[in-house]
Order: sequence, then structure tokens, then C-alpha cells
Amino acid sequence: MKLQTDKTDTSSNGYTLQKMAIRLGAFAAFLGIMIFFAATARGFTSSYNILNIVEQSAILGFLAFGITVVFIGTGTDVQKGGIDLSIAANAGLCTAVYSVLLEGGYGDSVAIPAAIVTGLGIGFLNGFAVVTLRIMPLLSTLAVMNIAAGLELVVTQNTVIGASSPVLDMLAFDKFLGISALAWCLIIGSILMVCIIHFSPLGLRLYSVGGNLEAAKSVGIHTGRYIYGSYLFSGFAAGAASILIVSRLSSSTPGTGLLLLPVLAAALLGTVFSRRFVPTIGGTLLAVLFIGALSNGFQLLGISSYWVSGVQGALILVVVAMTSFAKKS
Amino acid sequence: MQSNKNKNRTMITTAIFSLALAASFYAMAADKLPLSGKTVGVTIIGTDHDFDLKAYQGQINELKALGAKVIALDANRNDQTQVSQIQTLIAQRPDAIIEQLGNLKVLNPWLKRIKQAGIPLFTIDTETPYAINNTTSNNYSIGSELALQMVKDMHGVGKVVMFNGFSSVPVCKIRLDEIRYVFKSYPGIKIIKPELRDVIPNTVQQAYSDMSDMLTKYGPGSGLKAVVACWDVPMIGATQAIEAAKRTDVKTYGIDGSPEYVAMVRNPKSPAAAVVAQQPYEIGKQAAKNVATYLNGGSVPSFTLVPSVLITKAGKK
Repeated sequence: MKLQTDKTDTSSNGYTLQKMAIRLGAFAAFLGIMIFFAATARGFTSSYNILNIVEQSAILGFLAFGITVVFIGTGTDVQKGGIDLSIAANAGLCTAVYSVLLEGGYGDSVAIPAAIVTGLGIGFLNGFAVVTLRIMPLLSTLAVMNIAAGLELVVTQNTVIGASSPVLDMLAFDKFLGISALAWCLIIGSILMVCIIHFSPLGLRLYSVGGNLEAAKSVGIHTGRYIYGSYLFSGFAAGAASILIVSRLSSSTPGTGLLLLPVLAAALLGTVFSRRFVPTIGGTLLAVLFIGALSNGFQLLGISSYWVSGVQGALILVVVAMTSFAKKS
Repeated sequence: MQSNKNKNRTMITTAIFSLALAASFYAMAADKLPLSGKTVGVTIIGTDHDFDLKAYQGQINELKALGAKVIALDANRNDQTQVSQIQTLIAQRPDAIIEQLGNLKVLNPWLKRIKQAGIPLFTIDTETPYAINNTTSNNYSIGSELALQMVKDMHGVGKVVMFNGFSSVPVCKIRLDEIRYVFKSYPGIKIIKPELRDVIPNTVQQAYSDMSDMLTKYGPGSGLKAVVACWDVPMIGATQAIEAAKRTDVKTYGIDGSPEYVAMVRNPKSPAAAVVAQQPYEIGKQAAKNVATYLNGGSVPSFTLVPSVLITKAGKK
């Protein structure tokens, strides 16, 4: 019996050590790459460039927060847990709705709520398919992704729709304390998200639903509502991100759906930076900045842009493989 | 023995001297290159289309041949990537930037920022107030020349299917507007409404399926005689659809000169009737030369036109 206990202790120690090694390894890799860029890429550490990276990461950040909340509320297991594959296509649909309304002469007071409501609508559809109809999230959100992408084409006729409004001008050009509006969006958004997810009862209950559904049910949490809520939030994030996308591109363009891969990558990569390999807002934020810094550093180093996506993909594969390996062991 | 030593010494000295001379000549030649010591950024939305790739290669190769360091950025058809690349490029403060094609609504605010940052901007196929020079084909004459060829082939009467998906790309708008302008003088020619939309990606497949639908709707005897777009990749799909439907009454007309479509035009049995071929590599080279002229204090006109050529079944015109 004693032997048994010892054995368990040793294995749990090994487990923790291995996890710690991977986590520290991830931080070391992150820091190492940043130091490498700082030492070799001219202008990488200039405040102007760092703010550029933050600004360029804002859209990815908003979308990655959406998917992180889905991961928190439903678990990261690909088969049993939840996922929102429709988030980027949803953002595309929201940009289309927002731009078409602005072009049609409606102001921001109509167009912004309409974009957010559209995002929430798609989020609700996901929740309905996953919670009420009990369809596997991987399939249901894939189907919803196609619905959103199709609707985007219907709204835009697959064309570029130019948009301008006071809010867009402010987001695109205004600065406060030398920091651009888009960068402020990411900073403020991240702080709010950390407060809600990590320091409020709501966030803690969401973690408990995603961590162990049965245990959460047994203490009286309405798990269905939380899962619905996480998909709704993901839809909201898509709606909010769509305003930032239009401000950056001055229009709605086809191809917003292409963001899905980097968004998923950021949310998955983010788990490496947490102690128990669970999705966290801080982890996702670090991952988003890391992905942003990679393309920026590559460009500054003069490495062909063709290498960027390949290297990003390879890095993600290594990190995700390492975490899933650590979880299994 | 002594003389041998001297001989060797003389030979070594001569060798070193000639090496040094060669090196200094080489250095002088490098110094003489008009863009040596200069950095030029090149930004492009994507290179999946033959025209884009050749023009991109043309400018990069010429810039390098002129001695410049090139920061070449291909956004892989992603507007957000291109915008981020331009933003970082501005921070890198190159001596000049060349921007090729792309969506003007998306790009104009960023091209403005390039100008505001004091970096000379040159464009290919993009007419914008923020550029010093735009190197392009004469898109006005391309449109009208192709339209006149269509009128000739149709004997002034018939229906036309037009793809207009890229009206927001300035060169496309000019070509399509010119085609419509020519048709105005020939009331017997009607463009079928609503016009079709060509897309990127899946251009060929989408055009094939859209054209197949149109051929079903407008059967033989309906008066449908021609199909046209502002480039030739959708025309590859349209031509294949006409061949598959075994129709001989409908011809296709394209612009750019993609090798596959030019081969179709040259094939006597193909429904592809004519294409205006541009010289993308030459356009790219010319843009690079303009950068060199400008950075060496020369004056550069607001646009440079590179000739294009109409290819029909009968040959080049």
C-alpha cells in the first residue's frame, strides 16, 4: 500500500515536472525568439514598432478571446469539448452587415448594434446546435461557418464594400498618449476580459463547467446556460472584431474567414502559457502577440514572407503536440 | 636562383596588383549602380495570377540588378496581411515603395500614410493621388480595342455575357467602362443583365459553372455570341464550358495574356476568340527603372504606359 502511494507520488511529481518543463520551455522559446529579434532585427524594439505589433494583433486578439471563452466553458478536448469554427466567418458576416449599413446611409448608432446583434445571432445558432440539438461542436460550428460565409456573400455579392464613419476614423487614426486607438482596444479589452474571466464568480463558474460538466451540474450550476453563453460571447467577439476589421481595411472585403487558422492557433498556443495547460486570457494574449511579433520580426529581418506562415504553422504544431503529449502522460 | 626568386616575387606582386585592380573596378561598378545603397519595398496582394507574378518578378529582378536591397512582400491574397505588411514597411523607412494592383478602397488610406511618412510611392496598375508614378498598360485602349474586335466578330448584333466582379480594381473598371462605351455605338449589341461576378479564388471553376448556367438559359439561336471579362482567368473556365456544351456560336474575349488562355486563342478549334496580352514583366521592370530615375534626381512622369498587343485567331495585331 505504501509502495503504491510512493509510486503515485513519483508519477504525479514526474507529471508536474514535465508540465513545468514544457511551460518553462514555452516561455523560454518565446523570450528567446524575442531576444533574437531584438538583437538582429533593426528597429524591432523601437516603441513605434512594438506599438505596431500590438495594433496589428488587436483583431486577432478579439477573435482569439472569443474562442478562448468557448474553450474555457466547454473544455479543450477536440472530440468531447467545444470549439467555434464559425468565429472568423461570423466576423466576416458582421463586417459585411456593418459596411452595407454604413454605405446605405445609416450611421454608427444603427450599424454598430446591427453588427453586434448579427454576431450574437450566429453565436446563438451555435449554442442552439450544440446545447439544444446536441450536435458535435466540431460539425455544428463547421455548418454554421458555412451559413455565415454564405450569408456574407449574399450581403456583399462577393464585392468590396467601402465604409467610413466617425467611429471608424477614430479607430483608424486617433491616438491617446501616443498609443493608437486599435492598440487601446486590445489593452482595454484584455483588462476587462481578465477581470471577468479570472476574478469574477461568473468566470470561475465557467471554468468549472468546462473543467467537469457533471461536477458543475451536481453543485447546481445551469451548465447549458453557460455553454450557450460562451458561444454567444464568441459571437459578440466576432461582432466587436468586425468593427476593428472595417476600421483597418476601410471596407468589408471577402476573405475574413481566412483568420480562422491564426485565431485557433493563438487560442491553442495560449494554453501552453498557463500552469495547468488550460485556456487563459493572459495566455491567449501572449500567444496573439507572439504570432504578431513573428511576422513582424521576419519582415524586419528580410526573410521572405513566404516563410512566415510555414514557420508559424510548424511552431504551432510543435507546441500543440507537446501540450497534448503532456496532458496524456 | 636569385633571379628565379625575383621572378616569383614579381609574379606574386603582379597577381596581387591585378586582383586589387579587379576588385576596385568591381567596387566602382557596384558604386555606379543607380540604386546601390538604397532599399526599396515591394508590396503586392498576391502572386497566384500569371500577370501578378511576372510583374512582381520583373520589378524585384530589375531592382536587384540596379543594386537595390529589396524588401519583397506578398500578402497571399489577404488584405489584412497586406495592410500589416505596409504598416511595418513604413516603420522600416525604405528609400521608396512600389505597390502593385490590389483593392483601392482598402489601400488608399495606407498609401496616404506612406506619402505622409515622406516615402516616395510608385505603383503598378494603381491610379492613386499618393503615387509619384503609375506604370501600367493603356487600359483605355485595351478595353476599346477588345470591344471593337468583338463588334467586328459579332457583325454588330448579339448578346454579351459580361463578368464584372472586380469593378473595384481601377484597371478593371477602366477596361469594362471602355467596353460598355464602345457598345453604346452599336445598339444591336446587348449586355445580359444581371452581369456575372468573377471571383478569387476558384476563378476558373466558378466561371465554368456560371457560364454553363448561362448557356442553358441562352440556347443556340438566342443571340448569345460573346463572353468578356476584364482579365482572362475566368475566360478559361467560360471557354471550357462552351466547349463542353459543344456550342460554336459563342466566343470568349479576355485581357492579360495568361499562357493557358493565349494557347486557347491560338487553337483554331477553341471558342476563345481574342486576348489583349500585356507585358507584365516589362511593366515590373519599368516601375523599377522609374524608382531609379527618381532617386537619382531625375524627373518621372505621373504615368508610364507599356504597350500591349491584341492576339486573335489570325495572329498578333
